Amino acid sequence: MDTQFLVSLALIVATFGLYIGIAIFNKAKETSDFYVANRSVSSVYNGMAIGADWMSAASFIGMAGTIMILGYDGLAYIMGWTGGYLLLTFLIAPQLRKYGRYTVPEFIGDRYQSDVARLIAALATIIISFTYSIGQLSGSGVVIGRLLEVNTATGTMIGVVLIAFYSALGGMKGITWTQVAQYVILITAYLIPVIFMSLQLTNNPIPWLSYGEIVGQLQDLDKQLGVSEYVVPFTEATKWQFLALLFTLMAGTAGLPHVIGRFFTVPTMKAARWSGAWALLFIGLLYLSAPAYAAFSRFILMTKVAGSSINNLPAWTSSWVDTGQLSVADQNGDGILQWTELIISKDIVVMATPEIADLGIFVIGLMAAGAMAAALSTAGGLMISISAALSHDIYFRSINPNASDKKRLSVGRWSIIIATVVAGLVALNPPGAITQIVAWAFALASGSFFPALVLGVWWKRSNGPGVIAGMLTGLTVTLAYIFAAKYGGFTILGIIDTGAGVFGATSAIITNIIVSLATQAPPQKIQDEVIDLRYPEQITYKNGEVWIDESKNA
Amino acid sequence: MRKIDKKEADAYFRARVILITSCLAIGFIVSYLVVFLAESLLNFSFNGFPLSYYMGAQGAVITFILLLFANAIISDKLDAKFGLAKKTNQEMDTGNTLNQ
Repeated sequence: MDTQFLVSLALIVATFGLYIGIAIFNKAKETSDFYVANRSVSSVYNGMAIGADWMSAASFIGMAGTIMILGYDGLAYIMGWTGGYLLLTFLIAPQLRKYGRYTVPEFIGDRYQSDVARLIAALATIIISFTYSIGQLSGSGVVIGRLLEVNTATGTMIGVVLIAFYSALGGMKGITWTQVAQYVILITAYLIPVIFMSLQLTNNPIPWLSYGEIVGQLQDLDKQLGVSEYVVPFTEATKWQFLALLFTLMAGTAGLPHVIGRFFTVPTMKAARWSGAWALLFIGLLYLSAPAYAAFSRFILMTKVAGSSINNLPAWTSSWVDTGQLSVADQNGDGILQWTELIISKDIVVMATPEIADLGIFVIGLMAAGAMAAALSTAGGLMISISAALSHDIYFRSINPNASDKKRLSVGRWSIIIATVVAGLVALNPPGAITQIVAWAFALASGSFFPALVLGVWWKRSNGPGVIAGMLTGLTVTLAYIFAAKYGGFTILGIIDTGAGVFGATSAIITNIIVSLATQAPPQKIQDEVIDLRYPEQITYKNGEVWIDESKNA
Repeated sequence: MRKIDKKEADAYFRARVILITSCLAIGFIVSYLVVFLAESLLNFSFNGFPLSYYMGAQGAVITFILLLFANAIISDKLDAKFGLAKKTNQEMDTGNTLNQ
C-alpha cells in the first residue's frame, strides 16, 4: 500500500507540474490570447483539446458503468454525445468561426443586434457552465482525496487552486496546451486497462473487435439466469424516450458554449472543419471503448464473482465493498452469491479494472492521473467560458466598452479566479440539485442555444425579437416539461425529464420563426453578414455583390 | 479584391448544401432510423453482436467519424475547385473579426 501511495503521488505530482509548466510557458499577454489562444491553434491539437474539454470526470469514470447497468438503453449516450459533433461541425462551428467573435453570447448579441439576447445568452452560459463545473471539482476532490489520503474537501481545494492558477495565467492559450497534455494522459490511462482485459478474456489485444464475442456469451448467461437481457432494446424506458434523449444529447452538445468556444481558437473555417473531424476521432477512442469496458466487467462479475461462495470472493472485491461502491449480500442464505444479489455502482467499472485484471500499481496510479486529467481539463474549459461571459460579454460589451486591453485581461483573470473559488466552495458540499441540473444541462442547451445558433447561421430573416422570444420559450418549455415529467407524473409517449430538449428545441424554433416573421426584418447589413457565412474567408458578400480576395490564398 | 459572378458563389453554396444534407442524412439513418428499427434488427448479428447493439455501440460512431473526415476532405477539394485556397489558408485571419 505504501508503494502504491508513492507511485500514485509521484504520477499526480508529475502531471500537475506539467500543467503548471505549460501555463507558465504559455502566459496570455493580450485578450486575444486569453479568450481565443490568438486563433493560432492547429486542427489536430485543437481536436485533442476539444476531446479533453468535452470528456469530463463523469465520462471517464462513469460512462462505462452507465452502459453496463442500462444495457442497450445506455447506448443513447454514446450516439448522442458523438452525434452532437456532426451537428456542430456541419451546421454551427465553422460559420461561427468566420463571424469572428470571442464568445457564443457575443455572436448571438451581434448577429441579432440585441444586448438583451447577449445578456440572456451570457447568463445561460454562466448557469450551465457553473453547475457543470461543480461536478468536475467535487469529482477531482474524491480522486485526490482517496489518493493522498486526505479528506475530500482538502482534495477539492487542491484542484481549485491548481485550476485557478493555470487558467488565470494562461487563459485559453494556456488551457489549450494543458488540455492537449490532459487528453494524452486520459486516453492512455483509459485504453491500457481495457486492452489488457481484452487480452486476458479473449486473447485478442483489440477490445473493439473482441468484445462482440463477450456480448454473445452475455446473451447466453442472461438467458440461463432469466434476467433482463443486456442487448435487448428499450428495457429501461420507451423507444420514444430513447429517441428524445438521443436528440437532446446531440442538440445539447452542439449548443454547449464551452465546446463551441474551442472552435474559435483556430485560424479558418477549413481548420474548424478539420478540428471537428479530429475531435470526434479522439473522443471516439474513449466512447468506442466504454461499451467494451462495460461488457468485460459485466462478464467478470457474472462469471467470477456471482456464483462464488460468499466467503471466497476475489480479493479485489473487498476494498470496493468498503467504499460502498459494491454491495454483496447473500440474501437467500445459501452461501453462494447470486447475480441478483450484487449491487454495483456505475463508478466501479473503470476504476476497479486495474485491480480486477491485476495490472499493478503503476496502472492504478495512471488511472487516478487520467481521472484527474479528465476533471481538470473540462473544468478549465468551463471556467474560461464563465470568465469570458463575465468579463467580455457583460463587463466589456455592456458595462465598460472603453476598457483598455490590459484592464480587460485583468478583469478576465480575476473573474476566472473568483468563479473557480466560488464553484469550489459550492463543490465542498454540493446540493443534491446539482446532479439534477447537470443531467438537464443538455435539455437546457438544446432548448436555448441550439435553435438560436442554427437559425442565426442559416436563416437571415431571423431577428432580435425572434431570438429573445425563442430562447425564453425554449427555456420555459424545457423547464416546464422537466418538472411536469419529474414531479407531476405527466409524460408524452413515455418521454421523461432527460428527453425534454426535443420539446424545448421544437418550441424555440417555431417561436423564433413566428415572431421573426411578425416583426421587422433585420437590416440589410446583418442579412448580408449571414449570407457571407455561406462562403470561406476569401469570399466576401456585400450589397448583393461577391468579392474574392486572392491575396488571402497565399 | 476581385468581383466574381454571384452565380459562381451560388454554385459553391449549393455544392456545400448538398454535401451537408447528404452527410446529415446518412448520420440520421445510422442512428435514429436504426434505433427506430432496433427490435427487428435484434436477430441479425455482426461480429458476435446483435446488429442493433453493434450499430449503437460502434457502427454509428464510426460512421460519424468517417462523415466528418469525408466532409473535411471534400470541402477542401471544393474550395480548390472554386479557385480558393491554392496553397493553404492556415495563416490568415478574417477581415471582420473584433480582435482588437
